[in-house]
Amino acid sequence: MKVVEINDVYKTYRDTEVEVRAINGVTLSFEKGDFAVIVGPSGSGKTTLLNLIGGLDQPTGGEIIVAGHHLSELRPSELIDFRMEHVGFVFQSYNLIPVLTAAENVGFIMNLQKWPKEKRKARTDELLESVGLADRHNSRPSQLSGGQQQRVAVARALAPRPEFILADEPTANLDSKSAETLLDIMEKLNQEENMTFIFSTHDARVMKRARRVITLEDGRIISDERTNHNS
Amino acid sequence: MITSLAWKNVWRNKTRSFTVIAAVTVGVFAGVFAMAAINSSIVQRIDAAVNEELSHIQVNNREFRSSSDIQNIIADPGEVVSVLEKTPGVTNFTGRIIVRGIASTAGGSAGVEITGINVDREKQMFTLSERLIPGTGSYFDSDTRLNSAFIGEKLAKELYIIRYILTPEAFRSLEEAGIPAAVTEKLRSIEGERFPTEKKLSEACAGLLTSGEMKKYSLNIREAAWSYREGSKIILSFLDVSGNQTGAAFRICGIYRTNNDFFEATSLFVPEDELRRLTGLEEGQYHRFIARLENDDLTGKATSEIREALPGLEVLNWKEIQTDLAMITDYVNQIYGIFMVLILAALSFGIVNTMLMSVLERTRELGMLSAIGMNRRRIFSMIMLESIFLSVVGGFAGMAVSGIVIGITGHTGINLVKYSEGLEAFGYSAHLYPTIGGDFFIMLTVLIVLTGIISAIYPARKALQMNPVEALRGE
Repeated sequence: MKVVEINDVYKTYRDTEVEVRAINGVTLSFEKGDFAVIVGPSGSGKTTLLNLIGGLDQPTGGEIIVAGHHLSELRPSELIDFRMEHVGFVFQSYNLIPVLTAAENVGFIMNLQKWPKEKRKARTDELLESVGLADRHNSRPSQLSGGQQQRVAVARALAPRPEFILADEPTANLDSKSAETLLDIMEKLNQEENMTFIFSTHDARVMKRARRVITLEDGRIISDERTNHNS
Repeated sequence: MITSLAWKNVWRNKTRSFTVIAAVTVGVFAGVFAMAAINSSIVQRIDAAVNEELSHIQVNNREFRSSSDIQNIIADPGEVVSVLEKTPGVTNFTGRIIVRGIASTAGGSAGVEITGINVDREKQMFTLSERLIPGTGSYFDSDTRLNSAFIGEKLAKELYIIRYILTPEAFRSLEEAGIPAAVTEKLRSIEGERFPTEKKLSEACAGLLTSGEMKKYSLNIREAAWSYREGSKIILSFLDVSGNQTGAAFRICGIYRTNNDFFEATSLFVPEDELRRLTGLEEGQYHRFIARLENDDLTGKATSEIREALPGLEVLNWKEIQTDLAMITDYVNQIYGIFMVLILAALSFGIVNTMLMSVLERTRELGMLSAIGMNRRRIFSMIMLESIFLSVVGGFAGMAVSGIVIGITGHTGINLVKYSEGLEAFGYSAHLYPTIGGDFFIMLTVLIVLTGIISAIYPARKALQMNPVEALRGE
């Protein structure tokens, strides 16, 4: 089942006199349960493509369909609701809310979606258990290591059961051990919850784990390979 | 959840939040306390006007206030009594005989309004008897009540009944008050000398003491030298009902001190029967009836009812007699509001600054919140609530501190004796007992919340301009 469909998408930025074509005619789709990475050199358009898929930015041409929504037809306020309902984000620098505990951060989006308290608590407990932080419910982000914070961020992204998770360079700030742990967890959640993960990365460790590697260069897809990696 | 997040955000940077909260606290306290002090002065003035000078309502012969002719008596006092007895809210009333005349002693003379009163009834209705200066006698309590007069300190001074003498006893009281011996020794050269006025005493002291010593001790010296010979007499002269000059010697039974110099200098009280005998007015004839009400709020209604029932007479309440006092009460209420709005407007700049810093520091976080699905309304509400919390915490702290300080000073009073001459000339007390109504705090709470909301508008709009893409880039 297709989760994301990208049809001949263009994204052009105008910087005074210079026109930069960040995405140049990309056609691509992601299936439910994909564990895919988008790779490519700096400036190849990885982050721009993720932003377009996540509804954070609008294409200048082409069409993106996520869970039946044509993103270019949505108004800005509808896009915010779309992101809340359908997309999970994991950022390079964790971006947890510093004044909330780990459990409150995980429950944050469910709270925005007005989940009942009991259900929210059960889901939070389940996810903190899954990411190995069952004993850090009440820890603030400042009391957690980088790896632990990123695991909380993954739990937060997964909590409301989105269509897919977009992770922009999730291991960039982590040491090897933390990165491996995080990837183990994401792989496990991919299999257990059949959750679709789409990464952008430079990290060879992530590429090694991915079952699909899409390579971008100058805003075009130059390869889209499925691998036999399996955990 | 937004509320709880906003509250937690307020305490992210404790130093910054405490600074702005402290500024709001001090600003609100300063405003509230200043107003309570001003208010107390007005409340005390009204209190004195009603309890010592005017009462709530006066009923006069229509011509009496303009001509004050002794003939202008109330034609049918029985009707007035019957109306006052029936008017709801009237708790007590009495009649007065009022004549204009001259009070004189060997030292001087002064024009006065001589009021003949029913001593027992007036004692129930007024607190003037409590204004008796200790050591000057009593409020018509002696057996020879008939020939007695109760006069103001200011009049006593004008008639040189009060003098200033540094007696051995005065020196003892100065020593007890802790005045250095070096100072009292300098004053020995004027021991026993009589000074007819404060000014003459001060001039004599100024020649002996340094200006610093005068500034520090002149009040103590004046109080110690204050001297009154009990049982002094004055001659009161006025016209009787036939238009003939009449008068008699009256023994001063006591001297009162109020905060109103004019009232003290012109109002003199004698027993009604004595004045009736001297003027030839018959039993039951009065120039004025005065009535007390259960509370001041009934003044307007009771005045209308009595006025309607007594169309031939002039019926006035204290607000109509002392229009300046009624006007100042309304005026001050408006000033309170304007004053508080100005203070809060000044404080709002501090809140805007703090909130703006807080928003700009959180650019990435606010972008991330938008990325993960927190809509514009929620982000706007969160910033708005943070600002409201800052102003409300500071505002409530300010109100609490004000409440405590007003509670304490309202009990102990604030002494402004140094400036009392200026104040008392206008009838205002030199001892302030700050007080403020509960409705003022309700108005203030609304103003404080409004300050928080208005202060948040600009920072909240800034917050909405954050681009969520920035967050994804991890910048």
